[in-house]
Amino acid sequence: MEQQLLQNSMTSLDIESMSASSQKMAVLLTKLLANKSFDVPMLPDVASRVLALSNDPDSDAAQLAKLIQGDQGLSAHVMRIANSAAYTPNASMVSLQQAIARLGMALITEIALAASINSKMFKAPQFDKRLVGIWDHALATAHWGKEVARISKKNVEASFLCGLLHSIGRPVVLQAISEHLTASGESIDETEAFALEEHFHIPFGAVIVENWKMPVIVQESVQFYQNYEQAKTHRDQAMVVHAADKLARDTLACKDAGECSIETVLDDEVFAALNLYADEIEVLKAQMDKVVAGMEAMRQ
Amino acid sequence: MSDLKKVDVLVIGSGPAGQKAAVQAAKAGKTVALVERDQSLGGACVHRGTIPSKTLRENALRVKNMRKNASLCNFELAEDTEMSTLIDRLNRVLKAHDGFMVNQIKRNNIERVHGRAKFISPNEINVMKVRGEPERFHANSIVIASGSIPRTPDNIPVDHENIFDSDSILTMLYLPRSLTVLGGGVIASEYASIFQALGVKVTMIDRYPLPIGFMDADLTSTFVESFTEMGGTWLGEKNVSKVEWDGLSQVVTHCDDGTIIKSAKLLCAAGRMANVQDLHLENAGLQVNEMGNISVDDMLQTTVAHIYAAGDVIGPPSLASASMEQGRRASCNALGIGVGPMSKMIPTGIYSIPELSAVGMTERQARSELGEIIIGKAKFEEISRGQINGIRDGMLKIICDPQGEKILGVQIVGEGATELIHIGQMAMLSNADVDIFVESIFNFPTLAEAYRVAALSVIGQRSKHSDKY
Repeated sequence: MEQQLLQNSMTSLDIESMSASSQKMAVLLTKLLANKSFDVPMLPDVASRVLALSNDPDSDAAQLAKLIQGDQGLSAHVMRIANSAAYTPNASMVSLQQAIARLGMALITEIALAASINSKMFKAPQFDKRLVGIWDHALATAHWGKEVARISKKNVEASFLCGLLHSIGRPVVLQAISEHLTASGESIDETEAFALEEHFHIPFGAVIVENWKMPVIVQESVQFYQNYEQAKTHRDQAMVVHAADKLARDTLACKDAGECSIETVLDDEVFAALNLYADEIEVLKAQMDKVVAGMEAMRQ
Repeated sequence: MSDLKKVDVLVIGSGPAGQKAAVQAAKAGKTVALVERDQSLGGACVHRGTIPSKTLRENALRVKNMRKNASLCNFELAEDTEMSTLIDRLNRVLKAHDGFMVNQIKRNNIERVHGRAKFISPNEINVMKVRGEPERFHANSIVIASGSIPRTPDNIPVDHENIFDSDSILTMLYLPRSLTVLGGGVIASEYASIFQALGVKVTMIDRYPLPIGFMDADLTSTFVESFTEMGGTWLGEKNVSKVEWDGLSQVVTHCDDGTIIKSAKLLCAAGRMANVQDLHLENAGLQVNEMGNISVDDMLQTTVAHIYAAGDVIGPPSLASASMEQGRRASCNALGIGVGPMSKMIPTGIYSIPELSAVGMTERQARSELGEIIIGKAKFEEISRGQINGIRDGMLKIICDPQGEKILGVQIVGEGATELIHIGQMAMLSNADVDIFVESIFNFPTLAEAYRVAALSVIGQRSKHSDKY
């Protein structure tokens, strides 16, 4: 599957026009992808907060869920472990609520801690600002995913996780680039680095969620969110993530600009494919504040 | 604004009623436009209701039977089984159905219009598109068959994530550990028993003492017994005051009497209402009645002469079977094609586990109208086929007139009820006496033998003719 993903992705990257260092980087990323020799680290801040929460007798499961959901890397690790053979043989957990309800708060805390202690964190000093943007975008996509699913009567619960993980390949690609630059002393044009991130994030993400044995609905969302027509069994969910990804982009862009308008993105054909009429689009637009509030809450 | 397209007949909605209305009009040589708001034809019946739930039911039955035959196979359904696994054949069923419908529409030269209809005037319809310019139609006759949508009480915050309605319940990815079902109607009973058979801990809550109030209590009691035997809980005579999601893992249902039920998910099945909100009926000179439905006469004609309505949008019986015939008749009536009177004898089928089905009068109605009537019953466990199949929760009841001759109604609970009912229906349609079930020879062993047993019970109660047999 990796070879196919790679082939597909390499055809769309204009590697000839890139600098020598970027071309070298593309080759390196290709090898990393082929060997699956990359990992997803977590933010230590979250790990310490999970530890603090577990030591607080007044803490409850809702706080834990909120804390874990606020972090893409930690959520991914918790869900990966919750879906592992040790806990859920058939890899079926799609939400943290489900994982906590089924496995219990204490176990989830342990999973979160174990995951954080045993994993590296993202280290990409050249791209710190970009990493923050990726987290924000993933969170916004997760929240928008729920709203898009709700209005189009698709599965709401899984949409958060699918949205949160849809771009899990991006920070990993950037970290790999960063590690290479640090080790080699080379430099790379930021625009070209982001082009590599854009190009490689889906195959990287697909391999990650496949290795994590995430449910098929998550795997297909990550792999096909940009080309939902190609999704085999969960096309609806890939459409939801595609729409949420677009809405998240505009939400963050207009938030930065100080005024919010997501009119343009709603022309995307995915909203017609979801059969959303003008009044339903209006209902969706009205969720903007809710999405931003949810996103902000989880960033804290 | 687009050009005005002229058609002879415009049909709003492509469910069972709309589809038949459109085909009938086309077969009469008329130009027909069929407006459907969804991308696929078929309406809620095909995509969100009847067909998906029955597909799920088939697998639920298999699971129930495998559990029942634990000595033959050591079977346990994984608690994280995906819903898509449980309705695995659905896509094939829908694809086949869609293919059939699309071909039928094409074959009959019906113009299919994807969009949402809105009346501009009694003869003009604007069709809003998901994208692009609206289309305008002028129709000499219009059939409204826009179906129904779930009714949601104000105190039930349906979010389609933890609290579902009947249109969204099958979007769940996995079977929940527990499910509260609000309501005691057909949809509530079907889903409650199906999910319970799949191993979900189901609690059904309703304000009435027994579910499915339009059937006799002895049959619905049998349903409740079977449901509780599977592990379900029936809470009758309870009013739900509030439903809330606890923010983490459970839906909490509060009842007036202080009862609190907690479950992983909740299904609100508080009935359905006519789907007319986007039609702007007032522009056609129409309005809904006190029940929120479109009123029609025996010809399915509304108060506006050239506008007809059929299916769920006109209210009970709200059965796909009846809707199809209503749709066909609506077009015939609109086009002046003669049809005989519509049969009043429409069987009701409830695809719960076990099934329930009825035709004609209930025992309650018959006693109210005729006084001392004669009832004959047969329990499936007393029938050879019932014993062979291990069916213990089945019963067939024949309701006869005070002389014990004329069949007034038949009610059945048990597997196969929705098929078995047609034997009774045919006997009633041919005005046969109850004796026909004794004098006719059925295959043996079959559940149809229950008719014979129940008929013998009726005959045995005839004081005047007790020496005949």
